[in-house]
Parts: sequence; C-alpha cells; structure tokens
Amino acid sequence: MAYLAPAEFATKMVDAGEAKIFMSTKDTIVRAYMAGAILALAAVFAITIITQTGNPLIGSILFPVGFCMLYLLGFDLLTGVFVLCPLALLDKRPGVTVGGVLRNWGLVFVGNFAGALTVAILMSFVFTMGYNTDGGPIAKKVAGIGEARTLGFAAYGAAGWFTCFVRGMLCNWMVSTGVVGAMISTHVSGKVIAMWMPIFVFFYMTFEHSVVNMFLFPFSIIMGGDFSVGDYLFWNELPTALGNLVGGLAFTGLTLYATHVRTSEDRPRPVTAPIASTPASA
Amino acid sequence: MTAPSALRVGLGQYSSAGRKDTNQDFHGALLAEGSVNETKGIAIALADGISSSAVSRDAAEAAVTGFLNDYYSTPEAWSTKHSAMRVLEATNAWLHRQTQRTALRFDRNKGYVCTFSAVVLKSTTAHLFHVGDSRIYRLEDRTLEQLTSDHRYRVSDEESFLSRALGIESYVDIEYSELVLEVGATLLLTTDGVHEFLDERSMAEILTQPAPSLDATANRLVTAALEAGSYDNLTAQVVRIEALPERSATETYRQLNELPFPPALRPGEHFDGFKICRVLTVSARSSVFLAIDEASQQRVVLKVPSVDLRDDVAHLERFLLEEWIASRVDNPHVITAVRRTQPKRHIYQVTEYVDGATLTQWMRDNARPTLDQVRSIVKQIARALRALHRLEMLHQDLRPDNVLIDRHGTITVIDLGSAYVPGLEELGTRAQAQHMPGTPQYLAPEYFVGGHRSTRSDQFSLGVIAYQLLCGQLPYGADVARATSPAAQKRLRYRPLRGRNSELPPWIDLALEKATRIDPMHRYDEISEFVHDLETPSSRFLRQDQPPLIERNPVAFWQGLSATLALVILALLILRD
Repeated sequence: MAYLAPAEFATKMVDAGEAKIFMSTKDTIVRAYMAGAILALAAVFAITIITQTGNPLIGSILFPVGFCMLYLLGFDLLTGVFVLCPLALLDKRPGVTVGGVLRNWGLVFVGNFAGALTVAILMSFVFTMGYNTDGGPIAKKVAGIGEARTLGFAAYGAAGWFTCFVRGMLCNWMVSTGVVGAMISTHVSGKVIAMWMPIFVFFYMTFEHSVVNMFLFPFSIIMGGDFSVGDYLFWNELPTALGNLVGGLAFTGLTLYATHVRTSEDRPRPVTAPIASTPASA
Repeated sequence: MTAPSALRVGLGQYSSAGRKDTNQDFHGALLAEGSVNETKGIAIALADGISSSAVSRDAAEAAVTGFLNDYYSTPEAWSTKHSAMRVLEATNAWLHRQTQRTALRFDRNKGYVCTFSAVVLKSTTAHLFHVGDSRIYRLEDRTLEQLTSDHRYRVSDEESFLSRALGIESYVDIEYSELVLEVGATLLLTTDGVHEFLDERSMAEILTQPAPSLDATANRLVTAALEAGSYDNLTAQVVRIEALPERSATETYRQLNELPFPPALRPGEHFDGFKICRVLTVSARSSVFLAIDEASQQRVVLKVPSVDLRDDVAHLERFLLEEWIASRVDNPHVITAVRRTQPKRHIYQVTEYVDGATLTQWMRDNARPTLDQVRSIVKQIARALRALHRLEMLHQDLRPDNVLIDRHGTITVIDLGSAYVPGLEELGTRAQAQHMPGTPQYLAPEYFVGGHRSTRSDQFSLGVIAYQLLCGQLPYGADVARATSPAAQKRLRYRPLRGRNSELPPWIDLALEKATRIDPMHRYDEISEFVHDLETPSSRFLRQDQPPLIERNPVAFWQGLSATLALVILALLILRD
C-alpha cells in the first residue's frame, strides 16, 4: 500500500498546519523565499515554452516541475499555508491563535514576494542583456499578460474584480488538492503524479495563483507592461490572494477536515424486520 | 507443554562464596517453555562482581536478573542478538549511572561493576554474549574449548585488570558469537574462581564423569577448584542439550523475524486472537483500536503503525521499542504492555485499556478545575515520571493527549514512543535526527537549541501542563518552538498566571514559573520539589516577593550601574583640581 487512509492524512494536514505556526521566523522566511523563487523560475520556463511553441498546452504540461521541486524540498507557498494553518486553529491545538495564523501568512507572503521579485529582476536582466535590448517576444508576451489581467479586470469594475477573485478560488482549489494529494502518497513518484495533475489543470485554464502573480506582474512591469503597481495590487494580487484563501479553505481544507477528522456517526441502518419464522408444522 | 520437537536442555548450577565472606557471583537461568521457547529461547547467565567493590554483588545480581527479565520482554520482531545487545547496553548504562551518582565514582576500583557471560539457546543455535573474565566453554571429544576471550589487561604476573566489564564506562563493547548446536553438546560457564585454579583437562574430566545430576557435576567442579586453593567466589553452570527442534520450527521462527504489517482492521473483525471493537484514534503516526483478547476476554488496546511510516526503519524500531519500554516500567500511573503466551504474527503493540479520557478532553469538560484537582493530576503524572526517571529514562513527549484520566481521577501516562533510554542512543538519534522527539507546545526549550536533556526537560513539560490546566493557555504561547537560538530564548518571557486566573494564590505562579524556566539549571532539582511547592507556599517565595533587578531586567541593571560609574568618574574629574 503506497498511500494513506483518509483519516491518516487528514490528521497529517492538521499536524502540518500546526507545525507551520510553530516554525521560527527565520525558517518561515527562508522556506517561503525559496518557494517563491522556484515557482517564479518555473513560470519563466513555462512562458518560454509557450512563446517558442505557440502552444499553451505544452507549457502547462511542464509547469508543474516547479511546484514538485519546491514541495519535495519542503518549501512553503502562501496557497499551501492558507489551507493548512486554519485547520490547526479549528482543531483547537494548544498555543495556536488567530494571531499565530496571521503571523505565518504575513511572513510567507513577504518571503514568497521577495523570492518571486528576485527572480523577476534576475530574469529581466538576462532577457534584456542588462536592460540594453527590448527583451524580444517573451517580453512582449509577458507585458501583454500583465495588462490583460489587471486593466482587463479593471475595465469591468466590480465584476472584473470578482472574476479575478473567483479565478483565485478555482486556482487554490486545484493547487491545494495537489498539496493534499502529495500527502496521501508515501513515495516520491506518487507524490509527483498527485501534484502534477491539478497544477496542470490550473495553469492551462489561467486561474490566478497569488505567488505566480507575485512574479508575473512585477516582471511584466519591468518588461514594459503599461499598468501601475497600484493596478496590479488592487486589481490582481488582492482578489487573487483572497480568492486563493477562500477557495483552498472552502473546497479542500474544510471539507476534508469536516469529513475525515470530525467524522460524524453513520446514519442508523434500517432495521430489517426479523423474518417471522413459523415452525414448520406438518 | 513443550512439543516433542522443542528445544530441551539439562542444567546444573552451583555457586559458593569459597574462602571469602560474601559471594559476589550471581547466576540464573530461564528455561522457557512453549511458544516463548520458540520465539525467545532459553537463557543462562552468570556475573561476577569485582572483589574490590562492596556493591558489586548488587551489580552482579542486577545484571543477571535484569538480563533474564528484560530479554524476555523484548519485541518478538527483534533478533536474539539485537534483543540481548539492547538489554545489555541498557543494563550497562544503568549500572554506570548508579556509580556516577554516588561517591563511588571517585575510585575506579569501587562501584557497580561486574563481568557478564550469557548463553541464549534458541532453535538450533547458541548465542553467546560476554564481557569480562568469566568464561564459556564447550565440551567436545573430552576436551574443553574456550569460546570467549578474557577481557583482561595483564600488567605483570601478579597484577592484572579487567579491561572490559559492565558498568565501567557508559558504553560497553560486548563480545558476541554464534554456535550451531547438536544433541548431547555440553556448555560450561564459570567464573574466575573456578577456571583460574583448574586446568581445562581436569575440568573436562569432571564433566565427562558419570554423575547423579548436572547440579552434582557443577558442585564437583567448584569443590575441585576449592581444593586446588581457590580463594575467590566460585560459580559453575553446566548446560547439556537434550533435544533440538526440527528444522521446520526454525523456519517458523525466521518468518517471525520478518513480521508483516497487519491488514486494515475494521470493527467486528477477528485478528491474531483479538476481536476488534472500535477505532480509538487514528493519527499520522499510528492507528489505535480497542479490542478484546479472545483468550482472556480482557479489554486491550492495539496500536498499529501508520501506513505513512511503514517504510521508515528508524520509526519502526522505535515502535517496537515502545512496547519493550512499557513492559520494563512497573508503575500504576504508566501504561503497561500486555504479554500474551501466543506469539504475534504481525507488527503491532498490545497495552492495557484505560477506561478514561485524555487530559485534553478533560480540560474541555472542566474549564475551571479546582486547585486540588490540578494538584492531584500533577502529583500522579510526577509519580509516573519518577518511575521512568528511576530507570534513567525520559518520557520526552508528555502532553495532555498522552495523559489519560479515568472516572475516579486516576492518571495513566501513555505513549512511550519518544522515550529516551540511555544505552540505546544510536536508535534514538537516527529516529530523532529528522524530528523533535515530542510536541512543540510542551517540549522543553533545550531541545530546540540542541541542549542537554535531563529529567528537568520532563519537568518543563509537566509545568506547562499544570499551567494549562489552571488557565487553559501556555506559559510562553507558541514562542518556545520559534526561539531556535540561545539569544532568542533569552528574550522569552513567562506570562504570569495572575493576569489569566486571578483567583489563584500568587505562590502557585512562582512554582509554575520555576518549573518552566527556560534555563534548565534554574528549574527545580527534583520534580517532587515542584509538587511540594504547589501544595505549600515555599518560604523562599514568601521572602522573595520580587526577584532582584538583575534578574527582572538585566539591561536596566547594567545601565544603572554604568550611569552610577559615569557619575563617579565625573565627580572624580571635577574633584581632581
């Protein structure tokens, strides 16, 4: 048997959430920084493939390598801690407070952002020969993405903002399914397969992932995207992060917790009426 | 009843103080029958306390009885060699600690030191364990062959020292060898009082002479050595193999050595002589079931390793060790392992069932317990901890989930899976390299900075539990686990109970603060002192209502001191002319 019973991995999720809340500041920041950076590199990789082949499918198929790498190395993404940490709070683990959860989210956000920004700066330097050329087709592609997914939402006002929010929800439904899937399997191969499927789905459908966007939009601005930092933060990062939180928690964390940790009693089975056995009389 | 094909031996033993006043030799044997004969075999052991020490008789007795008891409670899944080595390492560490804690440690010739030789006969093999200068021989064709080497360092013809023995150092190098048995084979164990004064030929002669019993043969060996002028204690044990099991039995045993994992267990199923009643808990580490032992109709608890950790060798080793530890500790407040005559066919643990709730649940049900309730709980946990500490073990994972409380308020400490057993460090370090032993909320700060663990580490956990019982919160919140450097630990501040539960007398707070100090050296020397201080206000606390400034605020203290010195310098400068 190379996978866990649901009740086993469900408590493992709560344990993992608890452990993250008790993690030291240094470890939280370092792990978040590395996660942000690796995911950003994977995004560059996927965009390069898409511009070279012109086929988004191939980029999406290969994008999950980044996620697998960072998960196997034990780094933390904001989307993951959104799902896991509140479970420890719900399970009333001693010492776990709302403040502790928010502290963890804040630190992971900062770490992810710093990691993603580092890659954005390094890669923009590489693509533009130290900011001397225009960056070629990739720059154009990224700038286009950035404008479409900020000003594009802004053009529809509140409806656009909520579109981004819902795309964020759908994204973390998928991504956190990957995180949980990886916990179910006990082998590296199984973990990779379990993570690969949902990540592929979310990337191909261009759902909004708060950490990927922490790279994509700063990179887009550097590469000449025509939108402001304020546009990015308000029209994209904010609804995405909130959507990620709601989607991951509602669709994955809470559902699994509610059914596998706080399992309810089975409904009473219908009592079958005893078959009246009349003594066989001659 | 032993089957006709079981291993059967004849045993003769004799021990005498000889020309000395006391007999510092100790010997014993356990002729197991039935399934234990098959899984664990027959053990014969002998120890010789060093003559320069007054307590060595105790050491010899502890070594032999400890070996015979502990060896038979090792997990079935362990090999003979592994089991006996673990038991001897633990015995050695215990003896060494006994010496270290008394004044005997200042004299290398005094202390809890003894030689040790044992034979474990299992199936068709003899396993020999030996340290020191007692000997194990085999009789073959009327000649004796010495199977062990003398761990003796000879300075001159007159002077020699034991180079290896139990209890000298915290680690011991045990000589091990195996021997294939045949029916009629004879083994002889002797202490130096016998073999120093009789040559091998005369011993072989005595062994081959017809005698009414093997005891008589052992007696003759001792008498002959006495006549030859022996001035030491004399002990001889003669073992003769009378019947050996068939090969098939050996094979069943080999299968036992590679026990499979249990299948997924469901309520109502029958498993290895148990009827599964219901699931108690499922966690990422193990699944725990309530079951009924069908032979005794007794309610027991079965613990099965989780699927996640079945590939983790270190974790499995600890899992098997846990049951062994539970069977070593004999205390009403510590969970006991259930021993059954029927051998296990899968990897799992059986412990007694405690009809009660965890302390976590109890705290939910009793949000505001009385001080007396808390005292009673703390006192009982302290007793459980003392039972472990007396065996030099540390619990290391004391938390409300691992403390059961029944209707009458009786406490049972469970889950010895993280316990630290001296002598078995190499097991522990591998399992603990990746994980902290316990749970971050209750684990003492020294674990987070790689500090020295001691009984004070368990005291910290107990202090945290007591604090939580009284106010539902933790004395340092979640901060202990986050402080992973000594500098960060210095910044941790105890949150006084007074602000959280104003009904309590202030001296309770002082006792809790002392038990949960970050620096283990500032905690109580003994857990019993903590328990005592929870009951009566310590005069120390009454006198010292406020700690000195240097403890409360070292920065302010040094700032103040520096300011004073600056003023003095200024004054001196002004007064100079």
